[in-house]
Amino acid sequence: MRETYGTKLPGMNLEELAGRLIVVEGTDGVGRTTQINLLKPWLEKEGRAVIDTGMGRSALAGKGLKRAKEGHTLGRITLSLYYATDFADRLENEIVPALRAGFVVLTDRYIYSLMARALVRGIDPAWVRDVYRFALKPDAVFYLRISLEDLIPRMVLSRGFDYWESGMDLHPSEDMYESFCRYQTSLLGRFDRLAEEYQFEVIDAAQSAQTVFGRLREGIREVLDNKARKPAAAPVPPPPARDTVRDEARGDTVASAQP
Amino acid sequence: MKRYGEHRFPGKLFIVEGIDGSGKSTQLTLLHQWLRGEGHGVVNSEWNSSPLVSNTTRRGKKRRTLTPATFSLIHATDFADRFEHNIIPLLKAGVVVLCDRYIYTAFARDVARGMDSSWVRELYSFAVKPTAAFYFRVPLETAMERLLSGRHGFKFYEAGMDLGRSDDPVESFRLFQGRILEEYEKMIPDFDLHVVDATLPIEVQQAHIRHVVKSKLEQAKRLMVAP
Repeated sequence: MRETYGTKLPGMNLEELAGRLIVVEGTDGVGRTTQINLLKPWLEKEGRAVIDTGMGRSALAGKGLKRAKEGHTLGRITLSLYYATDFADRLENEIVPALRAGFVVLTDRYIYSLMARALVRGIDPAWVRDVYRFALKPDAVFYLRISLEDLIPRMVLSRGFDYWESGMDLHPSEDMYESFCRYQTSLLGRFDRLAEEYQFEVIDAAQSAQTVFGRLREGIREVLDNKARKPAAAPVPPPPARDTVRDEARGDTVASAQP
Repeated sequence: MKRYGEHRFPGKLFIVEGIDGSGKSTQLTLLHQWLRGEGHGVVNSEWNSSPLVSNTTRRGKKRRTLTPATFSLIHATDFADRFEHNIIPLLKAGVVVLCDRYIYTAFARDVARGMDSSWVRELYSFAVKPTAAFYFRVPLETAMERLLSGRHGFKFYEAGMDLGRSDDPVESFRLFQGRILEEYEKMIPDFDLHVVDATLPIEVQQAHIRHVVKSKLEQAKRLMVAP
């Protein structure tokens, strides 16, 4: 039977989810989409039915989320919860039905990107983990890892710097390049810690797209061949390490008596 | 991050809770008028009113695609937006903020829909504890009479039709709101809810509320002049 990270949603049957849930994680501009576009036809040639899904694509919240981001006024808790809504809608209406039908579900990012983004914005790690307690544990998480130095040219040569991908909401006084470097550095640091905690399979994304594709194929083939494979992501107790970039703007703390 | 607890801002936060038809909105309007007359800066913040998420909520309700999980999360998103951009800045500015429904509405409804109670409570742990929270206790039948005399039938989600417990909206409403009442009752001691008997005459309820609000505001004044 499939497992969640702690909470089962009402009406969700975790039995007989025969498909495979495969996550491709990594920061903005690292080449996740390119890889998924290569993986899908490859899997289909191998005879596997595939659906792909990704952040912000839910029928329910996709449009609203896009519009809300255009305004650049989303608060950090609001942003987190909007993405959680989008994720829950896709989980219930796309991912679980596809797994039940025996599909391979390729997901472009999963809860880990959402966690990383929330954490660099100073949100309480325990809260973030708790919000996503209802997520299914995937069969594998492939993390496309890249250094800031290798990331910058890709960004510049492809779509350029984006407001949210540059963390401009966190450093509005800086230019986009400076902000991008600061933001992506803390984001990559977060990803590294999550990679350890949730046991990601790390792939060096500085290599050519074909090399990365080869590594992903190997890893995925292993997941598909080995039916009894243990879910990749058994959470270990969260490290007690404090957040270094946390809560710069926050002097208004309150007493902590939870009734 | 902020945890659920007393806030230290100069403003005050008063909230009303109860099922539809309990008369809480009427009472809040009267409280608003009185506070303004007393010279306070007063602002209302209503449940489910954030412009950032209203389209999404409307889409989900219209197409009936909201599940207990997405219903819960979209309302939390709505609340977070109002909280971050409205309630907190107002409290910092020293305003008296009045909320028609607060996090307890989510605790009652989402748990009645089958969501895990500790998960929902943790979801809203960034919120602050109100200066005073009033719960308008009303028997289900009284609330239903009030609602049915004023309009035609119940809406899909308000009647909990999404849970598929009954095809009859009135019966479904009864079952669902009955569960919500149970959840409210459980919360009274945990969250210091002031119980108002919502079957009493309107002016009697209002006098009760004003008395509590007044004492909270005076307490704040005394603390301010203290050496």
